[in-house]
Amino acid sequence: MPDLPPLARAAHAAHCLRCLQALPDSQIEVDASRMALAFYCIGTLDLLCLLQEKTRETDREAWREWIWEQQTSGRYGSGFRPSPFMTPALRAPEDPYTDYDTPHIIMTYTALLTLAILRDDFSRLDRPGLLDFIRACQRDDGSFCTVPGSNETDLRSLYCAFAISHMLDDWSAVNTSRAIAFIASCRSYEGGYGQAPFCEAQGGTTYIAIASLHLVPHVQAPLLTAAERELTIQWLVRNQHPAGGFSGRTGKDADACYCFWCGAALQILGAGDLVDARALAMFLANCQFKYGGLAKAPGEHPDPYHTYLSLAALSMYMPASALASDQRHAASWTFEPLDPLLNARVETARWARKYIPAPPRG
Amino acid sequence: MPSPASSSDTSSALYAERPEWKDVTPLPQYEDANPIAPIFYSEEYKDATDYFRGIVKTGEKSERVLELTESIIRLNPAHYSAWQYRYETLLAIKAPLDVELKLMDELAVSFLKTYQVWHHRRLLLMLTGNPGPELKFITESLKVDAKNYHTWSYRQWLLAFFNDDDLWAGELDFVDAMLVQDVRNNSAWHHRFFVVFQSGVREGETERGRIVRRELTYVKQNISLVPNNPSAWNYLRGILDFNNLPYSRVEDFVRPYAGTTTDGSTTDLVDLENPPPSTNAQLPCSAAIEFLADIHEKEGGKDRVLQAIALWRSLADEHDTIRKKYWEYRIREALKSVKE
Ligand SMILES: [Zn+2]
Repeated sequence: MPDLPPLARAAHAAHCLRCLQALPDSQIEVDASRMALAFYCIGTLDLLCLLQEKTRETDREAWREWIWEQQTSGRYGSGFRPSPFMTPALRAPEDPYTDYDTPHIIMTYTALLTLAILRDDFSRLDRPGLLDFIRACQRDDGSFCTVPGSNETDLRSLYCAFAISHMLDDWSAVNTSRAIAFIASCRSYEGGYGQAPFCEAQGGTTYIAIASLHLVPHVQAPLLTAAERELTIQWLVRNQHPAGGFSGRTGKDADACYCFWCGAALQILGAGDLVDARALAMFLANCQFKYGGLAKAPGEHPDPYHTYLSLAALSMYMPASALASDQRHAASWTFEPLDPLLNARVETARWARKYIPAPPRG
Repeated sequence: MPSPASSSDTSSALYAERPEWKDVTPLPQYEDANPIAPIFYSEEYKDATDYFRGIVKTGEKSERVLELTESIIRLNPAHYSAWQYRYETLLAIKAPLDVELKLMDELAVSFLKTYQVWHHRRLLLMLTGNPGPELKFITESLKVDAKNYHTWSYRQWLLAFFNDDDLWAGELDFVDAMLVQDVRNNSAWHHRFFVVFQSGVREGETERGRIVRRELTYVKQNISLVPNNPSAWNYLRGILDFNNLPYSRVEDFVRPYAGTTTDGSTTDLVDLENPPPSTNAQLPCSAAIEFLADIHEKEGGKDRVLQAIALWRSLADEHDTIRKKYWEYRIREALKSVKE
């Protein structure tokens, strides 16, 4: 196998810094999910351990302020909206939100993680309001909607509700047994999970399902039988292509983001050592865009989503053999460990678990 | 003959410049001094969303709101609030839903990968309660992208939600046609499983044994035509697992694909239960080696397990080296069980 080229860390950081500064009109579809984009950009800097070096304290302070400004309260409780894309200029901050400008559960999860990356103290977090919001999002079938009252539901929102409850260390807002039954109904004969009942097994939703099952506290019965676990591992490892990348579904092309989704699911199942880490790194090396950022596949254009998830995959799967054999480029492939359950650097996840729960009374 | 003005003709003028919108106060978007990743909005988008915030503020639900939300959706199909408000407006003014569905036919093609387009369609179908014509529409849109996840999920939702015998009647033929087009389309194999073993099972269908046999024959025939097709192998496993049948039931079928057959006489008789690999097939097929090893392991006993280990070894060293660590893990686990 050829030598690994260097990982262009500074260029990947620069790609995300550019996006944080401004986006062209062609990125208009991000308008209703800007918080997630902020997470992928700032998260990239965190994974590269370049946040302190590449940004000023005043930038980080301004980012924290912007994120807190998206925390919004109203009839369904409190949480974070994607951006002020539906907020009129003249609205007073204390006015309750309208039904078209509510918090969004996926954006709330990414806002909390981003604040943890920025080492916020979470003194401004409306915890009781957040619990009300999670409660308002759960539906009778156990699933969660993205915004209260919407029918838009899939496994992603369920994972976010679980991750938020986990970070709060408070599961009182979630009916876990219904939610677990919903996850089970998304399982496919292939061993992966689809995004809704009866849907095809897909790498992203399989991560979501497996991570959710492992976030739930105090469950007596095992959430997967031994046979189910083996089948899921089998399906996940089969998604690694001979060129090293993972595909998201049987028979599809490899895509950088599935190196994270499938790779992290395997880590959570305790089967991370079954991945060919060197081939994975080689695939991601080829996904690097010459002017910075990583793309979903070699020759494609980069974006913060694929950049973050590629680096998150590398944080779990450092190409150890390459580090030993090629000292020249080894340092560029070195990462700090990642927490696969929350999808954040271990250090950041630790911060989230420490400061997001309600402080002890008295 | 002059054609009636369509909404796309009029949308060239900004709402701010149109007299019929003069009564609406546009509300610019809130933005603080230091936004994260601000988007340079086009003038049209800024204009339309300013008027939209103005409309939301007054709560107006009228014909012209449909035009306004359509303008926004065409510029940004992921604007979920515009979709939500549009849906509520359709309800409030009792707009003709066939017109809306027609518009959605067009938008579905333009924005095939946007979740909201499909979500809106679901809401409309729950109102019309007329799923019949939808299957044809879905079949058409799969011609544009035969593996689109949203399109397939929508079809599965439609069938399961309405669960009407007439709706299901042509489903097996449909899947078959999709697989004839591309036998490697995993979405189609998955859909077949959904039709045959999940929601598609009809009441009073007592001959399940016959159906299982039919499916086994079907998947074996497809494997014999294209052996290196992981989707078909997964389907074969799926049938056996779901019906609690031992893997050994297909051992005679699998063996030649694993390239371990020692008997040269198999070509004399065409055995319909066990169609052989096509003559130009690339053998051995790694999925078959894996399957055969699983059969050995499940049958158990020292001899069988040793045979499984030999097969895994061949995968690790030769036929599927990317998963070397996985095959070695299987070997380790199996050795443990032999020793116990
Ligand atoms: Zn991707």
